[in-house]
Amino acid sequence: MSDGSAPLAPDATAPSMAAPAEGTRRLVLATSGLPRRILIAVLLSLLAAAGLIALSGHNPVAALAAIAAGAAGSPHQIGVALNKTTPYLLSGAGVALCFRAGIINIGAEGQIAVGGMGTAAVALAWPIADPVLAVVAALLGGALAGAAWAGVATAIHLGRRVHEVLATLLLNFVAWLLVEQALAGPLGQFGAGFLQSKLMPRPTWLPRLPGVDAHPGCLIALAAAALLSFLLWRTRFGFALRVAGSSRPAAAYAGFSLARLTWGAMLLAGALAGLAGGIEVLGVQRRLIDGFSLGFGFKAVTVALLGALEPLAVVPAALFVGFLEAGALSMQRQIGVPSALVSVIEGLTMLFVLAATVRRRP
Amino acid sequence: MTDFLAAAIRIATPLLLAALGGILSERAGVFAVGLEGMMLAGAFAATAGAWLAGSQAVGVLAALLGGALIAAAVAVVAVRYRADNMVTGLAANILALGLTSYLLRIAGGGRPAAIHLNPLPAWPVPGLSQLPVLGPLLFDHPPLTYLAVLLCVVLSWFLARTQAGLTLRATGENPEAVFAAGADPLRVRMLAVVAGGAIAGLGGAVLSLQQVGTFTDGMTGGRGYLALASLIVGRWTPWGAAAACLVFGAAEALELRLQEASVPLSSYVLQMAPYVIALAVLAGMGRSARLPAAIGQALEG
Repeated sequence: MSDGSAPLAPDATAPSMAAPAEGTRRLVLATSGLPRRILIAVLLSLLAAAGLIALSGHNPVAALAAIAAGAAGSPHQIGVALNKTTPYLLSGAGVALCFRAGIINIGAEGQIAVGGMGTAAVALAWPIADPVLAVVAALLGGALAGAAWAGVATAIHLGRRVHEVLATLLLNFVAWLLVEQALAGPLGQFGAGFLQSKLMPRPTWLPRLPGVDAHPGCLIALAAAALLSFLLWRTRFGFALRVAGSSRPAAAYAGFSLARLTWGAMLLAGALAGLAGGIEVLGVQRRLIDGFSLGFGFKAVTVALLGALEPLAVVPAALFVGFLEAGALSMQRQIGVPSALVSVIEGLTMLFVLAATVRRRP
Repeated sequence: MTDFLAAAIRIATPLLLAALGGILSERAGVFAVGLEGMMLAGAFAATAGAWLAGSQAVGVLAALLGGALIAAAVAVVAVRYRADNMVTGLAANILALGLTSYLLRIAGGGRPAAIHLNPLPAWPVPGLSQLPVLGPLLFDHPPLTYLAVLLCVVLSWFLARTQAGLTLRATGENPEAVFAAGADPLRVRMLAVVAGGAIAGLGGAVLSLQQVGTFTDGMTGGRGYLALASLIVGRWTPWGAAAACLVFGAAEALELRLQEASVPLSSYVLQMAPYVIALAVLAGMGRSARLPAAIGQALEG
């Protein structure tokens, strides 16, 4: 497979030089009845979850009702759920774009962490009094850091022909350790007893939206998803991505540079993941804390699959996961069913979606 | 020094078992990103089995089952339904993390159950364990450590010298040829993944049953991914992986000692080493990659 995704020489567009057919991408989704299949997958995993709830001696219907009430019962709870949704939507939309092009980028985990670090570094290093400028500068720092980290993976992938999944996966762990190193050194708060940065300067704190207790990150995420959808369906770059996703040889034959496509999709996804990390730091934690986004990037993959790799459909998918998580915490408090159930639902949904939607004949 | 080497061996043991499981899976052509989940399920099942049955032997058997169960999910989705191996492994890891935490709380009636087991005792080898230096270092370990070495020998022999091992390797390199030779590559891959999961589950049992004596949420803490890095660095061979695990184990043991001695070498930078080395090995392969040729490719059928 690495052959198919290798950078092509300029003359690779000649038919005789087209990439070998061996590079079949397996994440090409079956197109017929996709929403129905995903819905069935979600229902199946909820059914399995209901069984697990019954096993704990609680009433499954009451527990699921507690999740719903806990997620959307009050403006405050809706705000909490929207804040949880934001990083999943931002990074999930980027992951969807990459997967769509047949680039299996599972590096969002590290890109989010490094993005949070970039935002924190900018916010702490350059105190800006104007709140708008301060936030924009800090978030820009996060997006750039995330894109840079994705760029490292891309350079290793294209330059040394390392399978992109291994490059992005292994760099996640390096990223976390890098953040810890920064928190133990220049960015850290000395004597906190825990790896965390100083409090972000006040001008960089994200405001609250009127009515709900959420920061405006969800609106940024929504705009990003819309932008990616436009990019994917209305531009030449998006068309090339879709062609590359369904057939690498066809994309090469049509004269699209696979290397350039990979760079574009990876840097974009990395920037969005970095932005997600930055928004989490400025909007929720207001510090850079060790482990602040643990698992976010892997959930981005869940959300991308659940959204059928369609940036706009990632919106309901991210809302589902965000509200599920917010609601489950409240369910645990209210009736005592462990909120770890959420990971079970997420893992099962992912497995069912994978089994139900991957095209039968590659 | 003996202490340091003993610590390296202790840290390397769970990694080695997981890496051996991963080698089976990857040599048959299925990426082993699910090792973390298989280890975690094994660690949990070992604790639960030993606790419920009051027998550590049952715990070890349960670990095999726990790891195999998660691996079976991976095998069905990634091999039978031909989904992307890596993403399937990731899903299995998320599932295992949630399921083990959830069941631990159900067992404790809402709070994590407090389970305390006696860790597996050391089995000194009669005679040999009395040797100076080498005795305590090599011949005074708990049973699963010997088992890890034994499995390393058996797996090397199996892959290199048996018909079944050849078929397994061929499935990872050229499944069409296996099909033409009359074997069923789909079945070989499913079996390899499930068997690998059982072995990785043993790696989890080393953590919970042999070293700690209890199960805590996410107690594998990324060791499954570290095992994945080890098997890459060991170039998909059992002895290579064993060497890599020992080096990584030594690095971690060194890190603890450096912290105690407050040597100004960052432990975080040291912890990055396994992943960076794995990337370097992958990058150094270039065109002559020794990754099984058909790894990650879906099977027709």
